[in-house]
Amino acid sequence: MNQARNSARVSDQLHSLYRTHLTLSDYAVQTWGLFVSAYRELNARKLFWVALALNALVIGAVAAVGIDETGISILGYDLDIPGVTSKMFPDGQLYKTIISALGVGFWLSWLSTILALLSTASMFPDLATGGVDTMLSKPIGRTRLFLTKFATGLLFTALQVAVFAVLAYLVLGIRGGVWEVGIFVVVPLMVVFFSYLFALQAVVGMVTKSPIASVIVTLLFWIFIFLVHAGEQFTLLGSTASRLEIEGIEAKAASLQTDEARSGLATPLESAKRANENWQLAHGIFYSAKTVLPKTTETAGLVTRALAVAANIGSESDGEGGGGEDENTRRQRGFFRSQFVSERKLRAAMNEEMSSRPVWWVVGTSFGFECVVLAAGIWYFRRRDF
Amino acid sequence: MVANAVDSTRAPLAIDLVDVTKMYAGRVHALQGVSMRVPRGEIFGLLGPNGAGKSTLVKIMTTIVRATTASGTILGAPVGNRPTLARVGYLPEHHRFPQYLTGRQCVEFFGAMSLMRRTDRKRRASEMLEVVGMAAWGDRRVGTYSKGMQQRTGLAAALVNDPELVILDEPTDGVDPVGRHEIRDVLLRMREEGRTVFLNSHLLGEVELICDRVAIMLKGRVERQGCLAELTQDSRRWRVSIEGAMPSWVAGIGATGEDRGRAHVEFKADDVDELQRLIDRLRAENARIVGVTEQRESLEELFMRLVRDVDGRTSAVGASNVNASMRIPR
Repeated sequence: MNQARNSARVSDQLHSLYRTHLTLSDYAVQTWGLFVSAYRELNARKLFWVALALNALVIGAVAAVGIDETGISILGYDLDIPGVTSKMFPDGQLYKTIISALGVGFWLSWLSTILALLSTASMFPDLATGGVDTMLSKPIGRTRLFLTKFATGLLFTALQVAVFAVLAYLVLGIRGGVWEVGIFVVVPLMVVFFSYLFALQAVVGMVTKSPIASVIVTLLFWIFIFLVHAGEQFTLLGSTASRLEIEGIEAKAASLQTDEARSGLATPLESAKRANENWQLAHGIFYSAKTVLPKTTETAGLVTRALAVAANIGSESDGEGGGGEDENTRRQRGFFRSQFVSERKLRAAMNEEMSSRPVWWVVGTSFGFECVVLAAGIWYFRRRDF
Repeated sequence: MVANAVDSTRAPLAIDLVDVTKMYAGRVHALQGVSMRVPRGEIFGLLGPNGAGKSTLVKIMTTIVRATTASGTILGAPVGNRPTLARVGYLPEHHRFPQYLTGRQCVEFFGAMSLMRRTDRKRRASEMLEVVGMAAWGDRRVGTYSKGMQQRTGLAAALVNDPELVILDEPTDGVDPVGRHEIRDVLLRMREEGRTVFLNSHLLGEVELICDRVAIMLKGRVERQGCLAELTQDSRRWRVSIEGAMPSWVAGIGATGEDRGRAHVEFKADDVDELQRLIDRLRAENARIVGVTEQRESLEELFMRLVRDVDGRTSAVGASNVNASMRIPR
């Protein structure tokens, strides 16, 4: 019996695929196979090519703008806008600004991400239904299969943003005369941005086996975190404005000569302090909620900030400082103005607060959320019978 | 017979399962202590009606389903050992291959998943597509294939890694008669090459035609397993036919009957000596013997008998329960 088993073991070992354990090169073969298959899947999807065409269209629109010493033009047609010349936007700054605002702030952060979510929606439901039998019968662990599949899902965004970056680099170089290598930072940052949302979509798709459900849940979650972000920003404005109000009242009181004059400020000071306490409490709640959630807006802001630093856009001289501010925030800031708080002061305090939030907090805590979601997905995938 | 049993015990086993159980949520007992031994280099057929637990067993062997309890080995390694799966080929029932890949890409992809290096998997993919008769269609997308073509491609994908053990779940499902014949030839060739083929099929005739051994599963248990000859041993009968009427003393030996002017007697005999004695006595009485044939149950008859037996047991248990506790009061 033992002899027979030994001879069987010897014959097993003669097989070219005999393994007692898998090696790194085995992992590489399987990972490469999954990535090639994912690329072929994207290649077969019309949406992938539509998104690429839109990428080209966005950058083409930027390239269509011309500017020289005499003025600005679109597709060769001069626009009569006095003062807008290359002197106003030296060193390709016009192109940098458009790419930053339109390309990154609108196209990559919103439309391209939605297209990517739609395009990858069926990936995990397909894994959980049709193809899982054959995949799991191969020498690949469930955790590795799940994570590799997840990584292949990021391929869509990586390829789209890479094409965007190359085109933007060429437009900046050819039309703007600036060969700005720093623009390529947009690729890893946007992949990270997409990965927060895709993690949730992957897990929902795995559990529900429905691409539509996974897209809807992800979009609703995206709206939810956007609302939390808006709430946090609003309460931060309130908290900052009331703090500035207190400082303003106290400064005013210190400048007054008589106690009688000072006592007239006691009520507004008390009221400002109470308001500040309430704003801080509200902000604390929103901030705590935001800390454990992925920070999509801030991550997109990092892209803009990184692009602005690299391309020298959005310096203090343009008056906005930081690039991530939208019309809504400006309107809110106007809402909190008072005789003690000027818009300029409030803006400066907000910028200071936002820039004090380190990159690791923005990306790190978002990654933390992503890891928890993926861990839940892996736990589910490992336990399930198919 | 005994010698065969000893041989099979000593032969290295491709599959040696011991007491495999599977309890699904909701306390559905899909497998109730299944033990199974599949010698290497044979074609082994797993039979059973729907819901018998065949697919669950196959999925446990390929790590798709986690057993509640399981011990034993697959190709000498413990059940669930992942590296061993590189030497196993598997064609699931109702498989769905990526529609965006061509047949060739699909076969190569599963080669990569089985750890094959690029040149090897490209070469093997071409060879296997040729073997299953898909060489001319290999560069078309799987999405354009008929059911039979998908099944052939699936077979090529299951064989691409040069497997020592091939597990096939309904491999001829959706394949036309010519294709079935070709697939049967492929399976026989695999056996000639020394591979072990584990065939899960509903088609009893097909299994009987090519399998060396079978196991019959009913309600999560293996009711019978072994060589077909072993399994039908109990049903072996001799039938001796003569012209005219059968002498009266023959009735004491076995069941007699008449058919178109010929009489016959059927009796159970474990050795041929008894048969010889009967023939000698009939000849001595000048009876004209026109036929001596060995009668056995077919696999289908055996299968149906076992299903009826188990159903009878179950319904008997059910009936007693009804009698005991569920009788409708008048």
